[in-house]
Amino acid sequence: MEGIYAFGLLAVFASIVIGFWALVRENDDLHRILLTDLAEILALALIALVATDLAEALILPGLVVGISELMAISEVFLVREGLVRQPDRMLQIEVMDSAPGLLALALVGYGILLSGFSGGAVAGIGVIFYFVCKGHDERFALLETLSGYAWAMWIVAFFIFMLLPQYWFFGVLIAGAAILLKVAGKMSLVGTMRGGANV
Amino acid sequence: MFELPVTTIEGPELFVLEFGDIVNYFTVYTAVLFTFALLFTILAIISRPERQVDFAFGGDAFYTKDITPGQFRFQRFMALACGMATLGAMMSGDVFNFTLFCSMVGITNIGIVAAYRNRHVLNAAFQYGIVAMIATVPLFGSAAIILATTGTLSMWELFGPAIAVPLVAKIFLVLGVMGEGMAPFYVAKAEITRAPGAPYVLMIHVSSLLLFLRVVEIVISM
Repeated sequence: MEGIYAFGLLAVFASIVIGFWALVRENDDLHRILLTDLAEILALALIALVATDLAEALILPGLVVGISELMAISEVFLVREGLVRQPDRMLQIEVMDSAPGLLALALVGYGILLSGFSGGAVAGIGVIFYFVCKGHDERFALLETLSGYAWAMWIVAFFIFMLLPQYWFFGVLIAGAAILLKVAGKMSLVGTMRGGANV
Repeated sequence: MFELPVTTIEGPELFVLEFGDIVNYFTVYTAVLFTFALLFTILAIISRPERQVDFAFGGDAFYTKDITPGQFRFQRFMALACGMATLGAMMSGDVFNFTLFCSMVGITNIGIVAAYRNRHVLNAAFQYGIVAMIATVPLFGSAAIILATTGTLSMWELFGPAIAVPLVAKIFLVLGVMGEGMAPFYVAKAEITRAPGAPYVLMIHVSSLLLFLRVVEIVISM
């Protein structure tokens, strides 16, 4: 086991040297952003080499920090290069005008039946489809409210688990419904990512 | 119940806050650092942005820039977040939490610098962002190596004589914190020192200074 860890460490260190060498040689700023993202993954590999449950728990915050830094510097890059523009409607397809209501309804209904994380994903795809087709003005407030309620439900469920453990089933139901709302709301934001006045 | 093994560097602990196996604490040393960070966070909350005076060359003429607090809302928010992250890093009793707070300081520093719509300043923010992002590799790498070799991340265990932390992990930790706290050097390079918004830019310097002081304490104690 020790030997495998040392070997993995050696491989990651070699990759780090290669990655940093590439970063030093690269002049194009966009490519440098991409290379730093690759270097970030090596940090995750270092954590993953620990290979315990704790490592699994540490990878998630590492990943979140990495992604948020990546988003921050790519936003700085976009503003610096003046690449921010307002897109107009790109897709003009007949089905997208007629189908979205029914399809979104079916997907959201099925998602609610599934419930939990996967149900939230299915319902979210339905809402994405609806927003992509129908436009999304004025609906952000609704999403934010929904997300806020889901968060509050989650906290309530957490307190039930902590303070009244005998009602755990109630807590599971609340948390399941909340994560359905949360994932659906988050995914539906993807459908609105086309620029616009209030994005 | 909790006894710091090494009290020569930081003095005896004053306060212990226990969250399961993550135990945050104040010693004399970290309490001073915490108070310092708190002071500057409060300054960032209550102070209004500075008002600059420009002098015209070759004459007695000068004009004052018109700056409203609304212009600096985002920067003030980022300065506050930076102060909070610094406070967390000061009292953290867990190596991984410390590294997370460090990288949060890095992100908020990017935010403080990038609030100006000036090409030079944005360029400096971009370069710093790349450095801060690369620095997460040794930063999290050190935490991972510490966890793999010693089996714990709690400073209460690591500071004890029973556990030897490998030298490479210590070097990585210092390197990572250096990368995250690098912002003042980029700020000095940028035109940001001539741009308005003084009290918020201070937070960059305060946070990086305090991070360095804390990581020195951690590395020596381990």
